[in-house]
Amino acid sequence: MSTIATDVTTASHEDHDHGPATGLKRWLFTTNHKDIGTLYLLFSLLMFFVGGAMALVIRSELFQPGLQFVHPEFFNQMTTMHALIMIFGAVMPAFVGLANWMIPMMIGAPDMALPRMNNWSFWILPVAFIILLSTLFMPGGAPAGGWTMYPPLVLQLGDAFPFLIFSVHLMGLSSIMGAINVIVTIINMRTEEMTLLKMPMFVWTWLITAYLLIAVMPVLAGAVTMLLTDQFFGTSFFLAAGGGDPVMFQHIFWFFGHPEVYIMILPAFGIVSEIIPTFARKPLFGHDSMVYAASSIAFLSFIVWAHHMFTVGMPLTGQLFFMFATMLIAVPTGVKVFNWAATMWRGSMTFETPMLFSLAFLFLFTIGGFSGLMLAIVPADIQYHDSYFVVAHFHYVLVPGAIFGIMAAVYYWLPKWTGVMYNEKLGQWHFWLSTIFVNVTFFPMHFLGLAGMPRRIPDYATQFTDFNTVASIGAFGFGLSQLIFAYIIWQCALARQGQKATAQVWEDPKGLEWTVPSPAPYHTFDEPPHVTKHDSFD
Amino acid sequence: MTDAASHDRKDADARQKRGIRRTALLLGGVALLFYAGFIALNAFFR
Repeated sequence: MSTIATDVTTASHEDHDHGPATGLKRWLFTTNHKDIGTLYLLFSLLMFFVGGAMALVIRSELFQPGLQFVHPEFFNQMTTMHALIMIFGAVMPAFVGLANWMIPMMIGAPDMALPRMNNWSFWILPVAFIILLSTLFMPGGAPAGGWTMYPPLVLQLGDAFPFLIFSVHLMGLSSIMGAINVIVTIINMRTEEMTLLKMPMFVWTWLITAYLLIAVMPVLAGAVTMLLTDQFFGTSFFLAAGGGDPVMFQHIFWFFGHPEVYIMILPAFGIVSEIIPTFARKPLFGHDSMVYAASSIAFLSFIVWAHHMFTVGMPLTGQLFFMFATMLIAVPTGVKVFNWAATMWRGSMTFETPMLFSLAFLFLFTIGGFSGLMLAIVPADIQYHDSYFVVAHFHYVLVPGAIFGIMAAVYYWLPKWTGVMYNEKLGQWHFWLSTIFVNVTFFPMHFLGLAGMPRRIPDYATQFTDFNTVASIGAFGFGLSQLIFAYIIWQCALARQGQKATAQVWEDPKGLEWTVPSPAPYHTFDEPPHVTKHDSFD
Repeated sequence: MTDAASHDRKDADARQKRGIRRTALLLGGVALLFYAGFIALNAFFR
């Protein structure tokens, strides 16, 4: 039990003692980290359903061989837009929302360091996605060349091209500003007694993620700027006819793209590292080694990018370097997985919804990790490349990996945010349906890929029918299960139905966020809190 | 709060503000450098 008294943490000076503004103004002009966190999370939920609807268009078309519902051109638009929306609109903003809500409370800071920039980073996002989605109504339709935007294909887009480039720039700007805010807050605003190694793993993994974002988002921006100048300003960075090199774009894109994968998974590692100790009722095994493992993963993520492009042709030395460097990532990742397992060893475990999602994360993300290792092997990758095996791999990493991590976090902290305990029974239904259907959807894709079905096609040979039908049924089941999630959030956040949550919510959790009342007051830690032995993670 | 404590608090606040400004400018600068640097490298070595 924390020794921090509630009256200290919620005490505020008279000139700060104001609640939120009312109406639309509150959300448009807010500089409060909790409000901005809420905006990010709601935006991400909306994008999750928009991107999910596009996934269901894809799965409907693939339910049977032959062309059923949509034109192949529109199918390609759906695959491209689904990826862009899920990556930049759903997963990344969800993590930024969680960072906004939790990092100041976890380090004992009153708010984020740059609150006005925080507001700006959020409000750029809806603009970016309105621009991106508007391309669906343009002559030539939305971007259809894949989220990787490879030239020369991407340069054949219709009117959508400059809108795509502008929206990617805006998404990048938003991410960079969000990352600057996270680093500046963690470096400068920790309460005095919160030394770096006393910080919770969620804060640590976000700090590392933010450095990754600052290193690679400008690279993506640079790459798409060069695409823009190639198309409109007579340059030929990537145009072979003008002496440029299209393969160079792939190198630059994946120099961004691979760290991006870790940007989407490291915060989930942090979340799971918070949740497993709480429900195993034991401290996290090897906190410091977790920090070093996350840092190693981040470092290695910069030197493995070409494993995405083994088939373009590269010297054997290059293939060997990228293959072995990729395999090396299994070492720090293994450290993490074994540390989580050791945390649970002889723990007094209970299986509430956040723990269930964390456990599913552990098992299913590991499957995605193993298929990643298979793809790292050059001769095997040359067979698997651009097949459904790759689709199965990255969906195992991103859905039961990143998205289950986000869902675990929402169930874990929702009572702290809203002051209302979610309905545990519904939470368990949501978990079991999601976990069953996620496997029904994505596991058969391994077999399809190994049997030779290429990705990004609207029609396929008849021998692939059965597994595709199963995957499509799974996708609809998964999609429908998410309505339970939306209902639970509505119940807690808007209808306020459910038991009132206590300050601690769970049984003796560690961390400063549990020392403030539930719901967390609009302003927390106006006076720096003390970090007791119980709430420090070293 | 005593005068000395209040003075210490003001000092700490000022130090924090300086730290925030410096870290933010440094990180923003690095991001801009990476953006322009990558384009410049591509233009130079093309």
